[in-house]
Amino acid sequence: MNELFEKQITNLKEAHFHILYWAALAEGKGKGYNITNIFDDLKFIGATRTKQSAVSFVESLAALCFIGINGDSNRKNIYITKHGAKALEFLIAKGSYQIKKSMFLEVAK
Amino acid sequence: MNIGIGGAGGKLASLASNGDCTIVNVSELELTKIEASNKILAVTHSARGQLRGSGKNPAIGMEAFVSISEELKSLIKGNIIFSSTGGGTGNGITSVLLENIATLEEQVILEDRTVFAFILPYLNRESSEYVENTIEFLGGPVSSVIDSCNTGNIVLFSNKLKFEGRIAEKNYNQMIVDSFNSFLSIPVKGEMYKLLDGHIDFEDFDLFKSKPYFNHFTQFTWDTERPFEEQLKANFNSLLLTPERPIEVMFLVELPDESITPKFYDILDYFATDDIAPVYGVVHNPELSQPQITVSMLYSRKPRELVEDFKNVSDKYTRNRIKKSLEQHVVLQGHKLDKMNEARRMVEESGTNSGDVLGFLKRIGKL
Repeated sequence: MNELFEKQITNLKEAHFHILYWAALAEGKGKGYNITNIFDDLKFIGATRTKQSAVSFVESLAALCFIGINGDSNRKNIYITKHGAKALEFLIAKGSYQIKKSMFLEVAK
Repeated sequence: MNIGIGGAGGKLASLASNGDCTIVNVSELELTKIEASNKILAVTHSARGQLRGSGKNPAIGMEAFVSISEELKSLIKGNIIFSSTGGGTGNGITSVLLENIATLEEQVILEDRTVFAFILPYLNRESSEYVENTIEFLGGPVSSVIDSCNTGNIVLFSNKLKFEGRIAEKNYNQMIVDSFNSFLSIPVKGEMYKLLDGHIDFEDFDLFKSKPYFNHFTQFTWDTERPFEEQLKANFNSLLLTPERPIEVMFLVELPDESITPKFYDILDYFATDDIAPVYGVVHNPELSQPQITVSMLYSRKPRELVEDFKNVSDKYTRNRIKKSLEQHVVLQGHKLDKMNEARRMVEESGTNSGDVLGFLKRIGKL
C-alpha cells in the first residue's frame, strides 16, 4: 500500500468516513446524494452543526480524489471513486469508526 | 430608508443615511455600537450569538431570521439593504431573506423591489470561512433571487482595495458610501441643474434600479478629446467587482461649459457598438471646472462564474491545509505488511453490516 495513500487515509476523520460510506450506500440504493443530504446526515449523527464544515469535509475528500462531484446545479451529487472505495474498505477493516445510519438513506422514509 | 444587516451592513447603512436607518443584528451589544433610528434584535437561541454575535457562522443568522421575518419583509420594500457576504449575521439573515424573495408566488412590483449592496471579502487576505460563506451565498440565495427576477440591482462591493491600499475600515466605509451616493445622486442632479440634453427623472432612475442585474457605477472627470472607451476602462470603480459587458446603461454628464454639449454623442456612439441605447442626461453644472460623468452599467454575470473565482482560491486553501496536515503527521515505524490485503481479509472475517456496501463496490468494479 502506497505510503502517501496510507497517510491520507489515516488523517480522515469520522465525518470523512461517513461521507464515503453513505456515498457508497446511496450508489448501491440508486439514489442521488448531495451536499445538503450530507449536511443533514452529519448533523443527525452529531458530527457537525455548520454547513461550511460539511462543505469543507466534502472538498477535502474531493481534493484527495476519494469522491467525485457530478453536475453543475446547486444540487451536485457526489459519488465514491475507486480510491475512495479502497480508503473506505481500509477504514472499515481497521474498525476506526462505528458505522452510523444516514437519516436520508436509512432512517427517514 | 436604508437597512443594514449584521455588523458590516449596519455600519454602512448608518453611515449612508446619517443614522436614519434600520439595523438588524443578533447581538444586543452590537446594536448599541451603531447609531440608527430603528434597531431590530433578531432572536437566536444560542447564548454565544446573543452575547458575541454570530461570528462566522451563518446558521445563527439563518435561525434568527424567523423572529424578524415579517417585520423585515415589510421594511425592505423599495429600500436598499447593506450586508456582508462573509460574516454570520449578514450572510445568514440575508440568505433566508433572499430565498424568501426568490420563492414568492407573485412577482414583486417594480417600486417594491429591493436594491442589495453586498460587501465581498478579499480572497487573498480574509479568512477561509468568509470565503466559503461567500461561495455558499453567491451560489445559492443570490443565484436563486436573480433567476426569480424579484430583486432590484445588486451591487457587489469588494474589500480588495481596502487591503491592497491599506485603508482604515472607517475610511473605506466612507469611500463606499460616497461612491454609492454618486450613483444615487443622478436623478437629484438631473432635477437640480439646467438640462442640456436627454433626461433622467426619479421615475427613470427607480425603473433602472429595479432591474435584477448587477450594477457597476463609476464617476470620473471626462476628457472630451480622448476616446471614451479608453477613459471608461481606466476608471472602472475599484471599490466594485469589474463588470462584464453591460446590458443596460445610464449616464449623467455634468458640463461646466454649455458649448461642448454635442460631445456627449461620442458616448452614445460608444455604447451603440454594443447595441445599447442608454438612459442619459446632460446638465450644466457651473460649479465644476472639468466635465464629469457618472455611468451606471447593468450586467448579468452568472453567479456560478463568480463562485468559480472564489472556489479556486478556496481549493488552494484546502490543498494547503491538507498538505500541512500531512506534513505534521508522524508515522511510527512498524513491520511491513500488505495492509490492503490484510484489510480485505479482516473484512471477510468481521462480517460487519458494512459488507453489503463493500460487496456492492466490488460488483461495480470500484474495489
